[in-house]
Amino acid sequence: MNQHTLRITAHNQPTVLERLLQVTRYRGFSVTGMTMFPSNESNLLDIELSVSSEHSIEHLNHQLSKLFDINDVVIDGKSSQQNSA
Amino acid sequence: MVSEKKETGGSVLFKVMQQHGVEHVFGYPGGAIMPIYDALYDSNIQHFLCRHEQGAAFSAVGYARASGKVGVCLATSGPGATNLITGLADALADSIPVVAITGQVPMVAMGSDAFQEVDIFGLSLACTKHSFQVRDVNDLAKTLHQAFAIALEGRQGPVLVDIPKDIQTAEVEFAVALASNLAKKEAAPSANLGTALTLLSQAKSPILYVGGGVGMAEAVPELREFMAATNIPSVATLKGLGAVNPEHEFYLGMLGMHGTKAANIAVQQSDLLIAVGARFDDRVTGKLAEFAPNAKVIHLEIDRAEINKRRFADAAILGDLKINLPALTMSLDIDSWRQHCSVMKHDFAWDYNHPGETIFAPAVLKEVSDLMPKNTVVTTDVGQHQMWAAQHMSFNDPSNFLTSGSMGTMGFGVPAAIGAQISRPDDTVIAVSGDGSFMMNVQELSTIKRFQLPVKIVLIDNEKLGMVRQWQDLFFNGRLSETDLADNPDFVMLANAFDIKAKKITKKEEVTQAIEEMLAHQGPYLLQVKIDAADNVWPLVPPNTANHKMMENR
Ligand SMILES: Cc1ncc(C[n+]2csc(CCOP(=O)(O)OP(=O)(O)O)c2C)c(N)n1
Repeated sequence: MNQHTLRITAHNQPTVLERLLQVTRYRGFSVTGMTMFPSNESNLLDIELSVSSEHSIEHLNHQLSKLFDINDVVIDGKSSQQNSA
Repeated sequence: MVSEKKETGGSVLFKVMQQHGVEHVFGYPGGAIMPIYDALYDSNIQHFLCRHEQGAAFSAVGYARASGKVGVCLATSGPGATNLITGLADALADSIPVVAITGQVPMVAMGSDAFQEVDIFGLSLACTKHSFQVRDVNDLAKTLHQAFAIALEGRQGPVLVDIPKDIQTAEVEFAVALASNLAKKEAAPSANLGTALTLLSQAKSPILYVGGGVGMAEAVPELREFMAATNIPSVATLKGLGAVNPEHEFYLGMLGMHGTKAANIAVQQSDLLIAVGARFDDRVTGKLAEFAPNAKVIHLEIDRAEINKRRFADAAILGDLKINLPALTMSLDIDSWRQHCSVMKHDFAWDYNHPGETIFAPAVLKEVSDLMPKNTVVTTDVGQHQMWAAQHMSFNDPSNFLTSGSMGTMGFGVPAAIGAQISRPDDTVIAVSGDGSFMMNVQELSTIKRFQLPVKIVLIDNEKLGMVRQWQDLFFNGRLSETDLADNPDFVMLANAFDIKAKKITKKEEVTQAIEEMLAHQGPYLLQVKIDAADNVWPLVPPNTANHKMMENR
């Protein structure tokens, strides 16, 4: 089991958490911790999501990055957008 | 903003659809969507009343797949909405752009277990690319624009918009604004083009593995130019059929569980696999660890999440195939490999010999394929007849072969054919079905009747759930549990009850004339083809087995 923390920036929609958690579960990750920080200035939501899984965290990163309401996903300080194959 | 005028939520829906070029929608009314149906009454958009919301969803899928446009379906809250689910799951799995509109109980009643209230948003999470629940009529137009944009953007898919009844009746200033671009940024394209070019130039036995993404990207011309320049041997997935010109000398046909022997062996022997809009699905790879064991992989994809998901890509080329395929073009010095593939293609060609009087389904489907007009759309249901259609029919474009690939949903064929016929009224549309699958959306014969759609149905009748029966015989010691359909209805009478001309054939010598009669008939037609219940689909790669260890008819 590998532990990872994802830092996610999302649109603060009432529905975004459900979709985020649905994808996380479906792709084989269990949530071990979650904290949210709604931003005051913008309609954005910062989420810190800790997960454990046997699967590669890149797999979840790519699936979450595709979601319409999710702006950005960063793994433990490493950027999601620059590390493809 | 060009003009502003008071509208209701319901009329805004159709105004936005018109802005997106929607001409036809499929649906079924009910309490919570009545204001939308009331607005439809004044709209120029043509609505096709289906006889089950699942039929409406599959017609929207067939419409989208045959035309390349977004398919639209409507349903009421509760049971209407849940009846869409199978169609949405199918569209998600095969990446088909569909927008589904559901009525919802009024906002004050939401969350109170109201009559016909179901949490369709919650249900949609696992079977849509995205879904919305509108909670303010001022957001409606923007949300609908986004729904159409999301359905088509990147890897396509279904989007659901749930609209509470009071939002449908609420008044709003409708601004005729143009659809805005998506707020969501596209993933930056990335390419290992240099690595890919080196791999390709050094390969001795490369093979092109063509998936459904080629058609979805409208990159069929680019693929064919690439093939003309490289003259590379190729194979296709179920959803990729039609992308490669079926006459291409080194095209070996479909690979995978029911692929051709030549295709599967060539892939296993290859030293380089160029996967184009394909995702290494388990029905394609067989035992993954032994799939193309000596091959390096170049993966051309639109969806970053598919790269390295099931097979490591030595070179990943993310982005639009229309740009990336030409970038890989080069001439290849692989003559002996081409000859080897050509010899296999010839040696392992299909054998249509079938002793006895009973009709051989592969031969019938081959003949339908040879006799049907150019640009005919063929849809299938799921089972043996589907695999025989994939093996023995030829298509010159992916939009001419519509089959439920990833989900394998029985009941797809007839409603998808209805959608295809409506989107392409001048083309012949043929649904190849099985006696099990046909009954799963048989109510849609009413839709055929109502709109006088000239859909042709070829019903391959083995009085069995044939594909399951085949597996029971091969892998469950012939214990035929619940797969007998000997008490089917009289299909000719059934078709006639819907004013559909029908004929049943049982002998080989009747085949040619029956196909000609069906194709010449102006209106809808059902041809029931009785076959031997013991016929199996060959070759077959057993589950969790390498693709070259296929079982064959001996
Ligand atoms: C909705 C649905 N239920 C069950 C199945 C499982 N299944 C796959 S093929 C098949 C038999 C199909 O029978 P038929 O339509 O007569 O086609 P045949 O295999 O006989 O050609 C079944 C039950 C499925 N694919 N879809």
